[in-house]
Amino acid sequence: MIRSELIEKIEGEATLDYHFKNKAIEHVDIKFLSSRHIENILKGKSPLDALVINPRVCGICGHAHLIATVEALEGCYENLEISQKAKKLRELTLNFELIQNHFKWFYLVLLPLFGQKQNIYKATHPSKLMGQAIATIAGQYPHNSYAIPGGITNEVLQQDIIKIEQYIDETIAFYQNHLVDADMENFIDCESVSKVLSKNGDLIDILKTIKQNKWTKLGRSYDRFIVFGQNSYFKAGRGVATRVNHNLNTKYITETNNTDSLAKNVKFKKYYYEVGPLARAMINKTALVKDSHRKYRDSIFSRILARTCEIPQLLIHSKKILNSIDIHEPSFIEPSVPISEISGKATSCVEAARGSLIHKIHIENNTIIEYNIITPTQWNLSNGTKKDSGVAQKAMVGLKDIEVAQKVFKSFDVCSVCTTH
Amino acid sequence: MKLLWLSALSCNGNVHSFFNYEKIDSFLKSFTFIYHPAIESDYTLQDIVKKDIPCDILLLEGTLQEGLQKAGVDIEDLIFRYGNKVKKIITVGTCASFGGIFLDSEEKYGLHYRKKEPHDKFISLKEKTINIPGCPIHPQTLASILYSIKKEFEIPLDPYQRPKEFFAFTTHNGCLRNEYFEYKVDNHQFGNIEGCMFYEHGCQGPFTNSSCNKILWNEVSSKTRSGHPCLGCTEPTFPKYNFFETKKHMGIPAHLPLGVPKRAYLSLAGVAKTFKIERFEKKLI
Repeated sequence: MIRSELIEKIEGEATLDYHFKNKAIEHVDIKFLSSRHIENILKGKSPLDALVINPRVCGICGHAHLIATVEALEGCYENLEISQKAKKLRELTLNFELIQNHFKWFYLVLLPLFGQKQNIYKATHPSKLMGQAIATIAGQYPHNSYAIPGGITNEVLQQDIIKIEQYIDETIAFYQNHLVDADMENFIDCESVSKVLSKNGDLIDILKTIKQNKWTKLGRSYDRFIVFGQNSYFKAGRGVATRVNHNLNTKYITETNNTDSLAKNVKFKKYYYEVGPLARAMINKTALVKDSHRKYRDSIFSRILARTCEIPQLLIHSKKILNSIDIHEPSFIEPSVPISEISGKATSCVEAARGSLIHKIHIENNTIIEYNIITPTQWNLSNGTKKDSGVAQKAMVGLKDIEVAQKVFKSFDVCSVCTTH
Repeated sequence: MKLLWLSALSCNGNVHSFFNYEKIDSFLKSFTFIYHPAIESDYTLQDIVKKDIPCDILLLEGTLQEGLQKAGVDIEDLIFRYGNKVKKIITVGTCASFGGIFLDSEEKYGLHYRKKEPHDKFISLKEKTINIPGCPIHPQTLASILYSIKKEFEIPLDPYQRPKEFFAFTTHNGCLRNEYFEYKVDNHQFGNIEGCMFYEHGCQGPFTNSSCNKILWNEVSSKTRSGHPCLGCTEPTFPKYNFFETKKHMGIPAHLPLGVPKRAYLSLAGVAKTFKIERFEKKLI
């Protein structure tokens, strides 16, 4: 028996065809039925136009697309100089985007899956603070293009640094008041799920609900993780369970078309991998997430914990980055050769809210010849076959209830618009 | 007041931009979404396409495309079905207004315009439509217009059906770099608070209708305040490619400030350029 369900409010929609056998899900076809063909729109345009077009891939992680674009363009240069100030500010704005996404996901997407009402205030208040922190540096959020080859457009003054620190502090306080009532500096070093569960807060309520309903095994997939982006916080690598290999080469990534979906499948060396906060925490060996993984493997419990715990980790780390910025450094160093005279190919990898985002560019004669974007949701939601399922597909096999399967599906923080770029 | 937010081909940027609206909590006490792409609603998208749910305002986001379906129903049918019943239709963002960045073929269009060209596909709905372009939409503009409709205020519109209260200005109004523009100092370099981006770096602020420097983004800044040229994203011509570059004819910017005759611009520029003002030649801080 096949039951088809439209999944809504996932930054767009997707159709899931559940194949049942003996009253349990045997296979799920994941279909995305529209596309905007952004890679085709980019062809023939001037290279810098990609800085404006690509943030429009996605309204919630468009900044990651900007950073991936500028790094791809810069990759076409040899020996391009970029100041530490510009690098740090780019990292900050990307961190802030990840944080705003995680708050929205928790209060808009996750709560309703566990029988609670969405909380618009709790979703938008901290997200607005992070949006303001980005706008202080980049002018606006969403959809700015302030990162350009050679640095950033804004000078950034002392008063901006002070404002950004206040936004970070207010967001930390919000997390502490609402998600987990613990001192954040101690919390990010916590090594025990049991200790976390002894606290109070909206996150703790969800984790307890999962335990009480015996859903701790729910959503397990291949236990394979991959992270391509790296910066001062995230490490690149891939792993099976806790075994990690930091040698990665993007040449082993393969993208294939789907016959019945407009999203493409993605593999690394013939295997599907999970990307996102759980993958990042496993590669980074974050103690709390490792403890969760030891107990519950790559389940929804670990996935939810990893995503929500990334918020304080990134906030505290962002504060350190902020305080290390020398505002007297240049924000922008003019490339000695203009991009119109540069020809080349490059690949960039950044960590977006939902996982590794990869951009590949080929430019010649001030023109984009080819552009390829591989988004995080393509990794997690690859639509494989019954014998060779994608990560989310595998995680839903064996379940008997479609509502429960939706919990698993949405634990990956699905982005339809990214997938159908 | 009941709202239906319907998305065509979009990036969801308008949805997330609107989440930044300063007073979203009180807004949601005055307005109810019968369907929204992210906010919980009493009806699912499938309910919306199968039934006729009463609502007052249709909010349309994204580029329209021939044959595009929502939950198995042609989006054009949905636009007519709900558009005929509502009091007002609002195009949320440039894609729904004029086609925007995803307009790459004849099959795609905005609700009443393909870029600057009007089309008559939805002509019967044109009179009740207000276009609110922007890529993305400015949250305060959308909220203010919805409140104005609720209060039954008269909303004066410009020839592209944009509310004048927000689009009678240009991005240039309120730009912190105006002194450099006034005195024609064209030494802008990225990464600096000084300089005007109109002459070399493609800033479209002087001829783009928007309130971006009047009602700041995220209540704190704007593109030009962060050293980034205005991209003209509220205009039907968006995207005018080769951003970051000022198109010129014989050294004169091809696009002059809105409503300013070439002769007036050249006369003023000529006079301004005869002066060397020391303050504008060096760093401010």
